[in-house]
Amino acid sequence: MDLLPFLLTQCLNALSQAALLFFLGVGLTLIFGIMRIVNFAHGTFYMLGAFLGYSAVRLTGSFWAGLVIGPLIGGAIGAAFEMGLLRRLYRRDESAFLMVTFGLTLVLGEIIRLLWGVNALQVELPNMFAGIVFLFDEPFPTYRLFLAGAGVVVAIAIWQFLERTRLGLLIRATSQNAEMVHALGVDVNLVRTAIFGIGCGLAALGGVLAAPLVTASLGMAGNAIIDAFVIVIIGGMGSFLGSLLAAVLVAFVQVFGNYYFPDFALAAMYMLMLLVLVIRPGGLLGKEA
Amino acid sequence: MTKTHYVSRRTMLKSAVAGAAAASLPAVPRFANAAEPIKIGMPVALTGPLGGIGAQMRTACEFWAKQVNAKGGLLGRPVELIIEDTAGNPATTVRKAQEMVERNGVRLITCIVASNEALATVPKLAEWDTIFVSGDNGDGRLTGESLVPNFFRPNTSGPMGTRAVALWLRDSPMKNFYGIGMDYAWGHNSMDVFEAEAKRAGKNFLGAVFSPTGTKDFATYIAKIRQSGAEGVYLVLAGDDNNAFLSQAKQYRLSDKIQLLTEQVDEMGLNATGDAAIGMIGGSRYPASLDNPVNKAFVAAWQADYKRLPQMFEGDQYQSCMVLQAGIEKAGSIEAAKLRTALEGLALDTVKGHIVMRACDHQAEQPGFIVKVVKREGMEHPMPEVIATYAADRVTPPCNKMVYDN
Amino acid sequence: MTGWRLFFLAAIVLAAAPFGLPIFAMTLLTEALILGLLAMSLDLMVGYTRLISFGHAAAYGLGAYASGYLLLHTALPLPVAVLAAALLAGVVAIGVAWVCTMATGVSFSMLTLAFAQLLYAVAFKWTSVTGASDGLAGIPRHPGPFGITVFQTKNGYYYLVLVCLLGAYVFCRALVSSPFGAVLRGIRENEAKTLSLGYNTRLYKIAVVALSFALGGLAGALYSPFAGFANTELLFWLFSGQVLIMVIVGGQGTLIGPILGAAFFMLLEHVLSAYTESWALFFGLIFIGFVMFAPQGIWGLLTSRRPKNARI
Repeated sequence: MDLLPFLLTQCLNALSQAALLFFLGVGLTLIFGIMRIVNFAHGTFYMLGAFLGYSAVRLTGSFWAGLVIGPLIGGAIGAAFEMGLLRRLYRRDESAFLMVTFGLTLVLGEIIRLLWGVNALQVELPNMFAGIVFLFDEPFPTYRLFLAGAGVVVAIAIWQFLERTRLGLLIRATSQNAEMVHALGVDVNLVRTAIFGIGCGLAALGGVLAAPLVTASLGMAGNAIIDAFVIVIIGGMGSFLGSLLAAVLVAFVQVFGNYYFPDFALAAMYMLMLLVLVIRPGGLLGKEA
Repeated sequence: MTKTHYVSRRTMLKSAVAGAAAASLPAVPRFANAAEPIKIGMPVALTGPLGGIGAQMRTACEFWAKQVNAKGGLLGRPVELIIEDTAGNPATTVRKAQEMVERNGVRLITCIVASNEALATVPKLAEWDTIFVSGDNGDGRLTGESLVPNFFRPNTSGPMGTRAVALWLRDSPMKNFYGIGMDYAWGHNSMDVFEAEAKRAGKNFLGAVFSPTGTKDFATYIAKIRQSGAEGVYLVLAGDDNNAFLSQAKQYRLSDKIQLLTEQVDEMGLNATGDAAIGMIGGSRYPASLDNPVNKAFVAAWQADYKRLPQMFEGDQYQSCMVLQAGIEKAGSIEAAKLRTALEGLALDTVKGHIVMRACDHQAEQPGFIVKVVKREGMEHPMPEVIATYAADRVTPPCNKMVYDN
Repeated sequence: MTGWRLFFLAAIVLAAAPFGLPIFAMTLLTEALILGLLAMSLDLMVGYTRLISFGHAAAYGLGAYASGYLLLHTALPLPVAVLAAALLAGVVAIGVAWVCTMATGVSFSMLTLAFAQLLYAVAFKWTSVTGASDGLAGIPRHPGPFGITVFQTKNGYYYLVLVCLLGAYVFCRALVSSPFGAVLRGIRENEAKTLSLGYNTRLYKIAVVALSFALGGLAGALYSPFAGFANTELLFWLFSGQVLIMVIVGGQGTLIGPILGAAFFMLLEHVLSAYTESWALFFGLIFIGFVMFAPQGIWGLLTSRRPKNARI
C-alpha cells in the first residue's frame, strides 16, 4: 500500500472517530461549563442512544428514525433528571453531583439491561451508507465519511446555536456568571435543564451513530465515559471549541499511535492527557488553571 | 457461639420454584426429607460485558440440575444451585465463592466465566477443600503452570481451539497468515500456539498485532492486516471487541480478499454482527449439530424446554455438568479427596462424544471441531456448520503443556 | 472526650468480633476494614484538604501489586512486605503529587485520574512483574518476623488488618488535629489566604497526597495477601470512583465516616446481589436517596442528634 492513500484513508478515518468523540465530549463539557457538574452518567446516555437506535431500526426499519428518537429520548431523560433531582442540589458541593450521577449510571444501566437483555445487538448500516468508496484503490466505508460529515454539521450547528440564538446566549452568559443572568430576570433553572438535556441528547446521538461500528452492548458506557472525560479535560472544561480540538487530537493520536506504536495503544490517550495538563493545567482552551 | 445455618433468600426462592414444579408433575420422585441437598456454587458474571456468556452457562447448569432432580437427584440427594452475580470482577468472585464455601457449605464450584476470575479463585481451593469444575475457562495455564489438584477442566481450552484450526490449515492451500488478538493473556497464549502450529505446517506467519480490550475502532488494525499480504487472518477476539472487529471488517470488505479464521465461533457474536461473519472458519467448542446419541437426546430435551438450539457455551458447560455428575456418582460422595480420585481418569460419553478426564493435568481429552459460518434459507441469523472434526489425541496438548509435539 | 471513648469502645467490639461472629462474617469484616482503611486514607485528601482524587485506585493497586510481588518473589515476612509496599506507594505518590499539584480543582482530579489510568496501562503491559491481564495469583503469607505464624490464620490476619486500621486512624486523627492539619483545613477553606499567610501550600499538598497514598497503599498491601491475588481491576478508574463514593456516602472530613461508608458500600452490594440480579438498580437508587436525604452521609445521620460531635 502506498503511503499517500494510506495517510488519506487513515486521516479520514481519524476524522470519523473524532466526530464520535466530539458528540460524546461536547455535551459533557457544556454541562460542566454551565453547571460545574462532572456527569458520571454521560457514558450511560451514549449507551442508551445505541440501544434506542437499535429499537428504532427494528420498529421503523429506518436508521434515520434512530437519529431522531435516540437524542430525543436521551435528552428528555436527561432533562427530567435535572428537573427532578439535580435542581435540588445546586447549593451543595460537587460531591453530591458525583454521587447522584453515579447512582443514575447504575440505575439507567440496569434498566437498559432489563429492557434489551445482556447480549450485544446489531444495528445495520442504512442502505445509503452501506457501501465503500475507493480512494486511490483503497477501500473506505461510506459510513465513515458520513460520520465525519455529521461531525462537521453538528459542530457548526452547535456553534451557531451558541452564537446566534437567545438560549445559546443565555448558556454562554450562565457559564460566565450565573448570578448575573439570574439578576437579569432569566430563569437560570430553565437554562440548566436545557443544557443538561442537550448534553445528554448529544451523547445519545453519538451512541446511535457509533452502534453500527461497535454494536449496541452493555460494555459501551464504561468505555465511553472515560473517553468523554479525556476529551473534556484535554479541551478544557466548559470549552466548546476545546472539545472539538481535543476530539480531533485524540482521534489522530489513537489512529496513528495504534498503527505505529501498537504496544502503547492503551496508554497513548492518557499520556497525551498528562502532557496537555502539565503544559496547560486548564486544558487546551480552558479557563481554569 | 454456634454457627447458624443460613439459607439465602435466593436459594429459598429457587427451592420453592423447584418444589412447585415438582408438585405439578406427579411422575417426579420425591426426595426423602432427610436428604441433604448437594449444593453447587455458581459465582457467575450475569451483569457487565461478560453477562451474555454467564447467562448461557447458568442456563445450562439450571437445565442440567432440573434433569438430574427429575430423575431422583444425585446419590439420592437433590441438586441445589447457589447462583450469585460477580459482574465479572475477580475480587467479587473470590468473595462470593468464599461465602458459598464458608456460609452455605458448598464444596463444589462451577460456572465461573472469566479466566482472570478463575485464576484468582484456584489458589484458594485447597484451603476451601472444594472442587472447581470449569465450564468455559480457556486459559492454557489453568491446566499448566497454574494447575491445582482441585481444579478440573472438562471444557475445550484456548490452545485446543487454536490447535484444531491449525490442523485444518495444514490441508488448506493458504500459505501466509497474520494475526490479531486481544491484548489479554488469552489473546497472547492462543496467538503463540497459532504461530508455532502455522510454522510447523510450513506456513508463513507474517506477524500479529494486539488490541487493548475495549478497542472501538479497528480501522488501523484492518489496514495492517490488509498490508501484511496474508491470505488468512487469525482472530483471537471475544465479546464486544469481536463484534466491533467483525462489523468493521465487513464495512471495509476485508473478507473479500482475506479468509477470516478464529479460535471460537460463538452464536452470540453471530447474532450481534448479522452477515458480517458469513464465510468465517473457526473452532467451536460445541456445535449443536453433533451426531451422537447423547447429544441428540440433549438437543431434543433442550429444544422442548427452550424452543431453540443450545449455544456453544451452553453445550460446553453442560458437558462440564455431566462430568461432575459422573464423578460424583463414581465417588459416591462429594468429598474433595474422593471426588478428585474419581474424576482423575474418568471416561464417559457426553454431548461431544467420548471424553477422558486425564489424571495428569485434569484436562478432558476431547475432539476438536472446525465450523464454517453459513446462512441458509430461512435462518434468522448465520449459523456455524461443522466442516471438520479432529480426534481427541490430536487436539489435546501434552500434559501440563500449551505447546504441541507434532 | 466522647470521641476517644467511642474509639476505644469500637476497638474493643472489633477486637472481640472473632469470638462472636461466624467464620464467613469474619471474611467480610476483614475485607470491609481493608476498604475502610482505603476510604479513610482518601478522606485525608478529599475531606480535609479538598483535593478530590479520581485516582485513588492507584494507591490501592500499587500496594497490592507491590506486596504481592514481594511475597511471591522473596521470603520477606508478611508484615514487612506489607509495610514495604505501603512505603513504596507513598514514595511514588511524591512524584505523582508533584505533577498533580501543579493544577487545582477539577484539573487536579483529572490529573490523578490520568496517572491512575497510566498505571493501569502499565500493569497490563509489564507482564514480568504484574502478570498482565492475569495479575498475580496464589500470593502466600510468609511467617515471621521472629517466627510469628499467627498472621497466616484467618483471625490472625483479621487482627493484623484491625491493628493497621486502628493505628492509621489514630495517626490520621492526630494529624488532622495538629498544626499540619490546621494548614490542610486552611487549604480546604481558602488556599490563597493560606498561601498569603506564608505557608507553602503546594508542599503541604504533596505531603498529604503522599501520606494518603501510603495509607491507601497499606490497604492494598493488606488486600492482596488476604484475597491471594492482585489484578488490573484493582487499578481501574471505576474503582477510584467507587472509593470516592464510599468517602462521600460515609461523610467526608470525619475519618470515621468513610470507614463506615466503605463497609456500607461493600456489604450493600454483597447483600443486594445475593437477592437479585438487578442489584445495580437498587444500589443506584439507594445512593440517589442518600444524596437527597442524607447530605452529611452515614456519619452525619448517626450524629445528627448531637450536632456538637459532628466532627469528633
